[in-house]
Amino acid sequence: MPESLFRHALVPVASPEDAESTMRALRPYVESAEGDVTVINVIEKAGGAPDKASVEQREDYAHKMFSVARDEMADTDCTPTTEIRYGTDVAETIIETAHEINASAIVFNPRGGNRWVRLLTGDVGLSLVSESDIPVITLPEPNND
Amino acid sequence: MTDQELARDLGFLEAYTIGLGTMIGAGIFVLPSIAAEQAGPASMISFFAGGLVSLLAAISLSELATGMPKAGGSYYYVNRALGPFFGSIVGWGMWAGLTFASAFYMIGFGQYLLPGLGKYIGFLAGWGEIGITVAALVMAALLTGVNYYGVKETGALQNVIVLTLVGLIVAFLGLGAASGPTIGTFLPPEGWPAVAATIGTVYVTFIGFEVIATSAEEIKNPSRNLPLAMIAAVVTPTLMYVGVMFVSTGTLSIEALADSPIPVADVATEIMGPIGALAMIVGAVLATVSSANASILSAARVNFAMGRDKILINWLNEVHDRFRTPYRAISATGIITLVLIAIGVGIGTLAEVASFMYLVTYALVHIAVIVLRRANPDAYDPAFRIPSVLYPIVPILGFVACIAILLQMSLIVQAIGGVIVVFGILWYFVYARDRALSQSLVGEAIAPEPTTVADGQGRYRVVVPVANPETERDLLRMAAASAHAHDSETAEVVAVNIIEVPQQTSLEQDLTFEETRVERQQELLDSARDIADDLDVGLRTHAIVGRNAGSAILDVIEEENADHVLLGWKGRRSRREHVLGSTIDPVIGRAPCDATLVKLGPEGGRATGDIMVLAGEGPHAPVAARRAREFAEAADEEARLTLFNVQEPGEDDDGLSPQERGEALIEEFVERTGLEEAQYQSRIEVAEDIEGAILDAATGYDTICVGATRTGAVSQAVFGSLPETIGERTDQTVVMARGPEESAMSIRQAIVRRLES
Repeated sequence: MPESLFRHALVPVASPEDAESTMRALRPYVESAEGDVTVINVIEKAGGAPDKASVEQREDYAHKMFSVARDEMADTDCTPTTEIRYGTDVAETIIETAHEINASAIVFNPRGGNRWVRLLTGDVGLSLVSESDIPVITLPEPNND
Repeated sequence: MTDQELARDLGFLEAYTIGLGTMIGAGIFVLPSIAAEQAGPASMISFFAGGLVSLLAAISLSELATGMPKAGGSYYYVNRALGPFFGSIVGWGMWAGLTFASAFYMIGFGQYLLPGLGKYIGFLAGWGEIGITVAALVMAALLTGVNYYGVKETGALQNVIVLTLVGLIVAFLGLGAASGPTIGTFLPPEGWPAVAATIGTVYVTFIGFEVIATSAEEIKNPSRNLPLAMIAAVVTPTLMYVGVMFVSTGTLSIEALADSPIPVADVATEIMGPIGALAMIVGAVLATVSSANASILSAARVNFAMGRDKILINWLNEVHDRFRTPYRAISATGIITLVLIAIGVGIGTLAEVASFMYLVTYALVHIAVIVLRRANPDAYDPAFRIPSVLYPIVPILGFVACIAILLQMSLIVQAIGGVIVVFGILWYFVYARDRALSQSLVGEAIAPEPTTVADGQGRYRVVVPVANPETERDLLRMAAASAHAHDSETAEVVAVNIIEVPQQTSLEQDLTFEETRVERQQELLDSARDIADDLDVGLRTHAIVGRNAGSAILDVIEEENADHVLLGWKGRRSRREHVLGSTIDPVIGRAPCDATLVKLGPEGGRATGDIMVLAGEGPHAPVAARRAREFAEAADEEARLTLFNVQEPGEDDDGLSPQERGEALIEEFVERTGLEEAQYQSRIEVAEDIEGAILDAATGYDTICVGATRTGAVSQAVFGSLPETIGERTDQTVVMARGPEESAMSIRQAIVRRLES
């Protein structure tokens, strides 16, 4: 039997809200597979132009996401590992990280948004699905009620 | 590569082009008409002088930026060195300067777009002043939107823009020089004062290199790349500006230049024909947009840095959950820029106010260098230092030059600038004073603390974590006793206080709610300084905000290369996870130096009076005796030392009586500690219950010193169960001591095991 897709999930998160909903959706799968979770936030660098926001500011922001993610998993056996990565191409950086940590899958929560917003801000989800050579799982947001 | 290095993706070339991209902005395309009107061909001198003043600022800024590569640039350095009063002035000043500059760039954009391109594209012509304002408003709104949504801009695009601009200007200069410009009357009718006043007008073209400093945290190998990029980003445009003024004033008459909204394009028409003029117009449009873009981003960084230092509400620095941009700061900057464009301040005034704010900023930056050099705080270790031939000439000259230009500026500009400065001052008194985290270093700069000999060279250091104002004095006194017993000339005490912030909250966020704790920390450390003065011992303080007090203290111990750490203990064992306490356990367990834990007894008997030392066989008993001797020597009145030993009744295998055994042990003990006969008395008791006997005897003394034991019970105790029981069960002052070696490992294991179970 092939190994569980949730043996070691790499979870890219983009905001505290995203971290919360993704971890909530992921939690039952990780618990039943007794898997590990690594949460990463990629800080997008402009690679030669001034960044859109200060690195320090975005690092603070990443730490907020991580603490939300840890809280969400607090009463399980799994303590997520957290990591900040830097890269000019967010999807590529996520895939590289997945290889580095030998992840079994990349798991994320599709963030919606209309075509224009995606065009302007870059559609990381689409790039992940089309470029990754590691399984990619998108989890629907669980109902809040 | 570490994360830190990965976060840095700007090399010399990138930093240089970012600086150039902002420097070769609206200034060089718009200012020639204003400058020529004011000072004629002599405005070349104005541009050159502006470049020199900026070069001085770039040198001072390079030292500061490599010493403190943090977001915020000049604001951060001034706030750090001169405190929140000047921090408020410069923070608001820079922010205002950047918004005025953005508005200036945008109107320049409008001038080139409508009257400029209007010559080629029919419907753009003939819109007049209103058209220019509308174009400026639309573009400013668009740029704000682009930065709000975080539309990705790449380094490649940046490089294309900058290369295009440099190419255009070089072509302009080359063809212009070849066309044989003729300079008429060099000096304007008003003479040199007009030339000096024009420096203030054109200075706005030189504020761009600040962008390099505000992005210091993103620059690779900043000690080399940052100063080089700054200096290059000042020198290159200065030469270009002087050249452009030379060609412009040599080609067109002063009157024609002064009347032109698009001076560089008009000059280009003369020397390169309409195609050349069109190229210059396209260049101007690119340049104004890229300058305004960089200014808006820089302004948001200044807001962020001010929020981080609690000079500004952090609400403004919220990151957008989708676009990951500081959208509120960007919007605020954008709105003010729009207002400034709309109210029609006039392009010259916009430029001059921006210049004014930056001249105020750089004047203070020069002072900040001197203050930091003199105060020399621990954290300040710039990779680039102003070479000794140039220090302190550069900051002094730079300061004087900035002030001189400020005084030359027109009254209306001084009035607007003054209002912004006053706003910063009021802001400090109304908002920032009670909240700001930073403290001025000016005091230390005026009277620097004597920084004695080189570090770690045999200087004895005692680290004392303090948390409670009631016990602070006694702990410091004991630490001072230990310091004095060593070379008292150089020995010093390091007082540490840690504000612990729980894992869930970010360090910054939590501090907002913790102002009272920050204040208490300051009070605690202030009184530590007073106490140290009384005790006549050198003292330094560390105020720390951290996740975990234990590891923060261990960091300080390592950083200070400490010889001894002395902590207070409430005298109660911890209930569950910890042995003595969540902070004490790791510090005592892992500190690579002498460690002492003190439970304070009633006043008057704290490490003075009758001191009992448990003279046993334990590996650390001699350390306890050493501590006792230090206390006795410091409490020079009649402190008495008693070496105490308890033996079980009955003869041992060698036929020695308990009394004989005890005497032999104390004799050996004294040999190990190096005590002298006159310094102590000995007392031997015989009892079945050793622990009980010690507890009974202890009541007759003021202070009990006991060394860490290594009993079988190590896994339930940090110091061993006997010392901890004594600490818990007697009312007297109890001093538990251990030395640096031997037991450290087993204690650590004990704690690890304890924490894991």
